[in-house]
Amino acid sequence: MARSLLDLDDLSREEIDAILDASARFRDGFPARDLLAGVPVLNLFFEPSTRTVTSFTIAAQRVGADVVSFTPGASSLGKGETIADTALTLYAIGVRVIVVRHPESGFARRLSDDFAGHVINAGDGTHAHPTQALLDLMTLRHEFGRVEGLKVAIVGDILHSRVARSNIVGMRMLGAEVILVGPPTLLPQGFCAAGIRIERDFDEVLPYVDAVMMLRIQRERIATGLLPSLDEYTARYQLNARRLRALRPDAVVMHPGPYNRDIELTDDVLRDRRSRYAAQVQNGTFVRMAVLDFLVNGVRALA
Amino acid sequence: MSEGTLLVRGGRVIDPSLGLDALRDVRIEQGRIAALGEHLSAEGATVFEAEGAIVAPGFIDMHVHLREPGQTHKETIATGLAAAAAGGFTAIACMPNTEPALDTPALLREVVERAAAVGGPRLYPIAALTRARAGTELVPYHALAQAGAVAFSDDGTTVADPRILRNAARYAAELAQPFISHCEDAHFKGDAVMNESPTSFRLGLPAAPGLAEDIIVARDLLIAGETGKRWHIAHLSTGTSVDLVRWARTRGIEATCEVTPHHLVLTDERFEDYRATAKVNPPLRSAEDAAALRAAVRDGTIDVFASDHAPHAAEEKAQLLSEAPVGFSGLEIAIGAYAFALPDLPLDRFVALASTNPARILGVAGGTLRVGAVGDVTIFADRPWRVDPTAFRSKGKNTPFAGMTLPRRPLATIVGGRVVFALDRPTP
Repeated sequence: MARSLLDLDDLSREEIDAILDASARFRDGFPARDLLAGVPVLNLFFEPSTRTVTSFTIAAQRVGADVVSFTPGASSLGKGETIADTALTLYAIGVRVIVVRHPESGFARRLSDDFAGHVINAGDGTHAHPTQALLDLMTLRHEFGRVEGLKVAIVGDILHSRVARSNIVGMRMLGAEVILVGPPTLLPQGFCAAGIRIERDFDEVLPYVDAVMMLRIQRERIATGLLPSLDEYTARYQLNARRLRALRPDAVVMHPGPYNRDIELTDDVLRDRRSRYAAQVQNGTFVRMAVLDFLVNGVRALA
Repeated sequence: MSEGTLLVRGGRVIDPSLGLDALRDVRIEQGRIAALGEHLSAEGATVFEAEGAIVAPGFIDMHVHLREPGQTHKETIATGLAAAAAGGFTAIACMPNTEPALDTPALLREVVERAAAVGGPRLYPIAALTRARAGTELVPYHALAQAGAVAFSDDGTTVADPRILRNAARYAAELAQPFISHCEDAHFKGDAVMNESPTSFRLGLPAAPGLAEDIIVARDLLIAGETGKRWHIAHLSTGTSVDLVRWARTRGIEATCEVTPHHLVLTDERFEDYRATAKVNPPLRSAEDAAALRAAVRDGTIDVFASDHAPHAAEEKAQLLSEAPVGFSGLEIAIGAYAFALPDLPLDRFVALASTNPARILGVAGGTLRVGAVGDVTIFADRPWRVDPTAFRSKGKNTPFAGMTLPRRPLATIVGGRVVFALDRPTP
């Protein structure tokens, strides 16, 4: 059975560490060109994405894979075709790795159930985005030398965020303390788990944490009655010049992008030396190289 | 196997309507119970040996979806009745969410006639509560009752507009046929595929809270109280709903309620594989809710076991979770699953929930073995068996109970003195 990466709990803690080690080596220029020489990789994106598909494409090219990208219209498969049909067809064509993004939670899992090759989840609905979480973990580890024991606030629309979910999984596995911050309607109802706290007051959390991860806020949350107004949101949860002053000097600010300027953060944040947005994007390519290598060649390849 | 005279011999007869739990023979002649006693004569009768088994008045499943007319690729009246027989049911009531919906006397009569042509278990149609189940216009309640409707329901959906529902209840209050409500607020429901819970958050699946049911149960019980209409709440799934029914009874509101096998046994953790196997309305809830439902069966709050048999084609259930239809086959696992959920429930109470009470609520024949009653008998035993959906008579082979071992199963189903199902014997 070919291994897939659907969320971080498909990996052991040791495997996550190995992938992060390999990612760091790729960043330092470790030669990668022959690792996946000639392996056919398909980027199958049912949702529009520029950054993630580009990052996966460059990562696949750097490890020598033959990469093809396909963006099916809307969310439909071929006419009358089931997920199983699609999986069988793609494998028969020769595809060995599918990098898939889909608006429905669980799509990557369903595809992997029927696909004989490897599936990498590049985002399924509001469920998971494991390579984003890996690049976030890589960024934290590079910054602090460790993830264990770090206090990380994830701020904003937790309920609809696959980035938040995968980071919650990964940070718990690596022993970070996760603090979820946001309005009650955008936080999970009745959710509790070891190592996770829910806080309403961003200002109280700021001086306490090693890292803040700001999530994208979508305007449709107002139309669907989850938020009264963007003004009220920004007053309570926006990271701006005033709140940056409360953040520790050695803390870092992260954002999965693309950010909404003047909603969840202001230009002050992007200019702040504690912002790690550019590093995150860079690290994304390296962790995706490492994930491709790990899935196709096994954990030993990374050692 | 036998027309005419049948003697069910040597079984432990349990009939709550007679307060009976004893070894008895049951003699059925010309479709009716002719005698109930010890060592009855077998003269002129086909003998069904029931030694070691339990003999009960025929089980009635008052919540079944047949798909005829309109969706016979999922189920037909014939396959649905065959599944009912195999599940130990001598009668079923079918919900009106066919295509078209059962909202005219002619449609109702047609369904009854097709069932009669099939033979097997009795089929009692439930008529739509509003025209086309659209929730906006009333149906001819009196004419539908005359055509054989045993209840009225828009099951599958909730009548959203309380004015329409109240008007319907006022209009039909004098009719004995109860209203049966499916309680889920449509706004809460939205695109939800499961119960809102820590699991739904973890899986990132759209979810609706138990409150979606509770507020409609409360609303409908209040309308029942105000209009005096007899009411039956379908497939309760939350602990709060059960509390609301208890409250209604303290106020003298005439309301009964039912519970399904799946809500008694399963919880909302059945979505890890992102398959629609356990997708159902109302959704599977928490372990606490399931425990509250079992407690409500034990304390008598819940009146009826009902399967909510909802067959679908395999390829439909194999779709993405958002697209796959709700429901699954229930008739052929029901008896086993009720016993699995409630191993400590006394057998006379078990029979009451499966037979006596649904017969009373629907006002239909059966539910008793007293002399003169219809000769409908269910014979069952506590004999563990493994659920294999491929062996179902139903066209719908999907069930979240697949692979489970259940402790009880029907051995024979007798309708009007005719054996329509017998385990390990060819069905006539």
